[in-house]
Amino acid sequence: MRRSVRASLKSFAIVATLLGVVGLVTACGSSDDNPSSGASGPKVIDVTFKGDSVTPSGDIITVARGQKVEFEVTADTAGEIHVHSDPAKEYEYKAGTTHISVGSFNVPGRIEVESHALEKTICILEIK
Amino acid sequence: MSLAAPTVVSAHGIGGRQDLPIPLEQAILGAVLALVVSFVVLILTTRLHQAEAAEEPVGQPAETRPRQWRPRWVVLLDPIVSSTAWSVALRTVGLLIFAYCVMTALIGRDTANNPLFGIFYIWWWVGLVPFSLLFGPAWKAISPVRAINEALTALRGGSGEPMYRYPERLGCWPAVVGLMAFAWMELVYPNNNFLGPVRLWCAIYVAVMLVGGQLYGSRFYERCDPFEVYSSLVAKLSVWGRDDEGRLVVRTPLGNLDTLRPMPGLVAVVCVLFGTIVFDSFRDSTPWIKLKQDGPFISTHAHMPYVLDNVAVVAFPLAVAVFYCVGTMLTGVDHVRRRQLPAHLAPSIVPIIVGYVFAHYLSYFWEAGQATLRQASDPLSDGSDWFGTSGLQVNYFFAYHATLLANIKVIAVVIGHVLGVWSAHIRALQVLPRKHLVTGQIPLLVTMIGFTIGGLYLLFAS
Repeated sequence: MRRSVRASLKSFAIVATLLGVVGLVTACGSSDDNPSSGASGPKVIDVTFKGDSVTPSGDIITVARGQKVEFEVTADTAGEIHVHSDPAKEYEYKAGTTHISVGSFNVPGRIEVESHALEKTICILEIK
Repeated sequence: MSLAAPTVVSAHGIGGRQDLPIPLEQAILGAVLALVVSFVVLILTTRLHQAEAAEEPVGQPAETRPRQWRPRWVVLLDPIVSSTAWSVALRTVGLLIFAYCVMTALIGRDTANNPLFGIFYIWWWVGLVPFSLLFGPAWKAISPVRAINEALTALRGGSGEPMYRYPERLGCWPAVVGLMAFAWMELVYPNNNFLGPVRLWCAIYVAVMLVGGQLYGSRFYERCDPFEVYSSLVAKLSVWGRDDEGRLVVRTPLGNLDTLRPMPGLVAVVCVLFGTIVFDSFRDSTPWIKLKQDGPFISTHAHMPYVLDNVAVVAFPLAVAVFYCVGTMLTGVDHVRRRQLPAHLAPSIVPIIVGYVFAHYLSYFWEAGQATLRQASDPLSDGSDWFGTSGLQVNYFFAYHATLLANIKVIAVVIGHVLGVWSAHIRALQVLPRKHLVTGQIPLLVTMIGFTIGGLYLLFAS
């Protein structure tokens, strides 16, 4: 029977360690579940299309939940941008300057903003 | 200056929202815990083992039966799940889903509202993991290609004996090809959200499976069906098993995993699964996007981003394989052939894969899975409501509980890691000489910790 006692001891030690891990990780998580409501003005993002390139390019832009997002697009040719929210939205812009208001986002997470014609990611909105 | 009007488009693509990255502190904490727990498990279990082990291991995984139980409820359950009626019922479910998918593929509309995309990329590929973990080899049970193959064999009046014996030296290498084909479709191919390519992919899959099944019998599915190989691999972490007489038994997940025997291609399967999931995280990270869009040479050559993705989807599994093989082969041995070690220790990657799948896909499976359920009710996009779910609002539970989600991710990766180390350790006790037990396992441990920290870094960074 010594063997089975040792085996149980072994299992017990490992299970205890595992539970400890789970407890520690959970305990250390800070609580940031509250929605941040203090969004002041709209977030204005300048986007410049020039030939095959776009600025910004894949950058992460932090936006508060409920904050309005606007794009100030300067482009040499007309095109459209896709906002991969749920449902996805599409906005057209003209050559020259176009002001695009995409409204606000309430579900936290990341949303890609792309130009499908260029097959490029303009920016990633990080909704917090 | 002009104002642009928004248009809500039914564009192609599944799942818009992505998770916030996990906070840095949690990533670091997870990594440190993985490190500490690994060493505790290693030293503690090795000491206990050394005290109780009688003879020197023989360098092969032990042929001893794993600890397994057959309590009363399992005895009662066995005749039900082993009955013909049960397997016919499951096969029927599989065939109904298959017929539904064929319908959406042939007469459904080519828009993002077609449920085929969600069924293909989310229910099938991601859903396979939780189902197999809970219920055992799930895909094997409902596989429509197995059902059609059995029907064809019966129609041919065959005796059930396949035309050829499956060449065992191929092992599960054909499944590696299938898994890579799926990963390429999901992660690299730019038109993967159009109906035509998905339909073609599935048609080739079904054709290969039916021809293979007719030539080599059901062994072909065990070795070559990428979904069955993946599903049955994950099912080794479930509690369900069969004893030598084929009776239903329950085992501990690690005891069950230990019944996985080395075969050709097994290391490749685990490395492809792990490597492609890691690439899936990495490809959304800003450095990778910036490299593809603005990198020197790449930005001036139109096809370079696509080439780069193709290279990466192969390079990630290869890098995992190199890292893993070097780590395991450096493990201290005398009389054991080093080249066999990666295959002997391959089961230890399975919990790491499962932990990482949970971390990476949990919220996606939850949200996109619900969206697919909504779309499934209107398969032909004509406004009908087949299953009463077309009005379903997607529940964003995990998005609103970002801290809980981040905790679950870290815990999933760490638990996967700990079970991986533990499983590697069980195998090491069977194959390594006793004097090398602790020191011999250090390279292996470093490899495992490397995987965990790499995984946590990607969940943090992207």
